[in-house]
Amino acid sequence: MVFQDTIELAAQEKGATDITDLISAIVLDSRINIGTCQLFVHNSLSSLLINDTADEDTKQHTVDFLAQLAPNCDGITNIIDESMDAIPERMRAAITQTSISFPVNRGRPVLGTWQGIYLWERTTQPKPRKLTITIIGE
Amino acid sequence: MLHQQKLRFSTTGRGTYNITQQIAETIEKSGIKKGICHIFLQHTSASLILCENADKTVREDLNVYMAKLVKDGDNSYTHKTEGPDDMAAHIRTILTQSSLSIPVYKGKCDLGLWQGIFLWEHRTVPHKRNLAITIMGE
Repeated sequence: MVFQDTIELAAQEKGATDITDLISAIVLDSRINIGTCQLFVHNSLSSLLINDTADEDTKQHTVDFLAQLAPNCDGITNIIDESMDAIPERMRAAITQTSISFPVNRGRPVLGTWQGIYLWERTTQPKPRKLTITIIGE
Repeated sequence: MLHQQKLRFSTTGRGTYNITQQIAETIEKSGIKKGICHIFLQHTSASLILCENADKTVREDLNVYMAKLVKDGDNSYTHKTEGPDDMAAHIRTILTQSSLSIPVYKGKCDLGLWQGIFLWEHRTVPHKRNLAITIMGE
């Protein structure tokens, strides 16, 4: 059995947003009991992360570290429009993931106690984001 | 056909652990000859990599590289609950991955000659690590 759906997430503030509950609800609706789930985000200015949920500081430190690995353009301290932050954001896309996958069992994501699914919005001018979710199983 | 199974590994601290054989045994047990093996690590301070299995100094150098890239006990971190290696371990996990998908061919992992599957423990103290393996195919 294959379940596939496309969802549009409302524009999120720059940073990491927890979408675990949203995704879990879709997995449950798929009626697939056991298998794997793939999430795919249809742009290169946001990424998908599986990160720690225990401490709010963790996600901020993570995005801060990833951001400094691909610094903003030299000499540009104010982002004028989306094209100005596009180059370092493409680099950040390469060191994170556009898709993630996880097992499904008893109709639920098989995540560890402290694992959450996050959308990392990296642009200063957020937009609605299209995600495709594909679940294969029985 | 679908086979799902959990495995548990004990780590003795920071470093890479070759789990290729255990994954191969799981695939053999599934009876699936052709398909995909999805491996998911249920933690946020350890990760999965495919890496060269011929010379262990490759992985020793990876440890050195990662320690330089992501420093323990950075003063800018506020997430220090479990020690100076804690936040660094979360970032190291994000820079690698929580899951791997490997083709199954003739009942075996279809890896390159020098590819091995490794669990990379990022915490400096021993841990028990849980893997969820899902094999789909025929």
